Amino acid sequence: MTRGPIPILRVGDTLLITVHTDLHDTVAEAFQEDVLAAIEKTGAGGLIIDISGLDMVDSYVARVLADTGRMARLMGTRSVLVGMRPEVAATLVRMGYPMEGVQTALGVDDGLALLAAVNRGK
Amino acid sequence: MARLKLDAREIESRRAFFELTDDDLARLASLRSFAERHSKEIVDALYELILGHPDSRAFFSSEAMVQRVKSLQREYFLGLFAGRCDGPYVEDRLRVGAAHERIGLAPKWYIGAYSRYLRLLLDRMFADFTPADAQASYLSVSKLVAFDMALAIDTYNAAYLDTMARQQAAIRELSTPVIRVYERVLLLPVVGTVDSHRAEQIMEQLLVRVVEEQARAVIVDIAGVPVVDTRVADHLIKTTAAVRLLGAETILTGISAHVARTIIQLGVDISAMHTLTRLADGIELALGLIGREIRAKAATP
Repeated sequence: MTRGPIPILRVGDTLLITVHTDLHDTVAEAFQEDVLAAIEKTGAGGLIIDISGLDMVDSYVARVLADTGRMARLMGTRSVLVGMRPEVAATLVRMGYPMEGVQTALGVDDGLALLAAVNRGK
Repeated sequence: MARLKLDAREIESRRAFFELTDDDLARLASLRSFAERHSKEIVDALYELILGHPDSRAFFSSEAMVQRVKSLQREYFLGLFAGRCDGPYVEDRLRVGAAHERIGLAPKWYIGAYSRYLRLLLDRMFADFTPADAQASYLSVSKLVAFDMALAIDTYNAAYLDTMARQQAAIRELSTPVIRVYERVLLLPVVGTVDSHRAEQIMEQLLVRVVEEQARAVIVDIAGVPVVDTRVADHLIKTTAAVRLLGAETILTGISAHVARTIIQLGVDISAMHTLTRLADGIELALGLIGREIRAKAATP
């Protein structure tokens, strides 16, 4: 399952991605491709992106993350961004980049619960 | 004292404004023997004034203290005739001012004492010198006294600013209590005026607590905020957006009829927030978000 520098795990019907490394330009693109390819291959119902390992998210990375979620949605996969650090949230809001439309949760557990609730209602 | 920023340039600039020239300083230095001759009676006369007023006398607890302060005063007085107005001189004057501020001696006593000083000097200068010399000497000493007075008042100001900064820090600390009302539910009662600085601090503190407590819902109660204008509303919207990024929801409670009217009239869009009037309703809503509810106990028969 793992190809690029960011491992993608499968938990039941959900793909779980833990981002540790900084998503600079080339890594970010590879990341997006890997995630979408994995969704295509597995037909996963949900996607959780855990960014608790990131202590800095600039507007570029924020856009890559938001876009990836939107692309997944086009493929019928709900995504949740989890584990954002307080200082990252404060910075994004100050920059005027509140990532509207992106589902968020505190941690992986909450993310899984959220996906379960959404998919139940589907 | 460092905060007063009295470097060589500042001293130079002050001297220029007080028109305290090198000639003045030289004239003062030449008056040294005159000053020494009269220092005792002048200091005694000054303390006649200070000890004669019940409020200023209250600063002196004993005769020994009066004697000690008089000898310090004599040094201070002779300092006026040292012919110097440099860094060490200014520092010495600031130290004197700071000491007076510490014991709570208000500037009025200071200025009153200076006024007596000048009158005592005036009398003795005209008694000892020709009118022209006396006038020139008096002008020089009055310039330096004004220069000293400004320094003394600056130390008072600096001390007040210090106190104010400390109090503001204390108020800030007290002003953002984040309370855990239930497992994964936080309450932030906002009381008082919200300026940008405080709003930033509220947001930062709240975000940290949300992650610490893994809170799902945050109730922000603004019943204690007197005025909600566009800036305050903007801060609330930002805080809500940041809380959402973490994966929690914000519930805004305590919205009075007046505030509701203001928000709509200002055209602020706060539709992203859950808004309620009563805190109790906010708590119920928050509990609902974590899958709990408040129910009446079954009536006992």
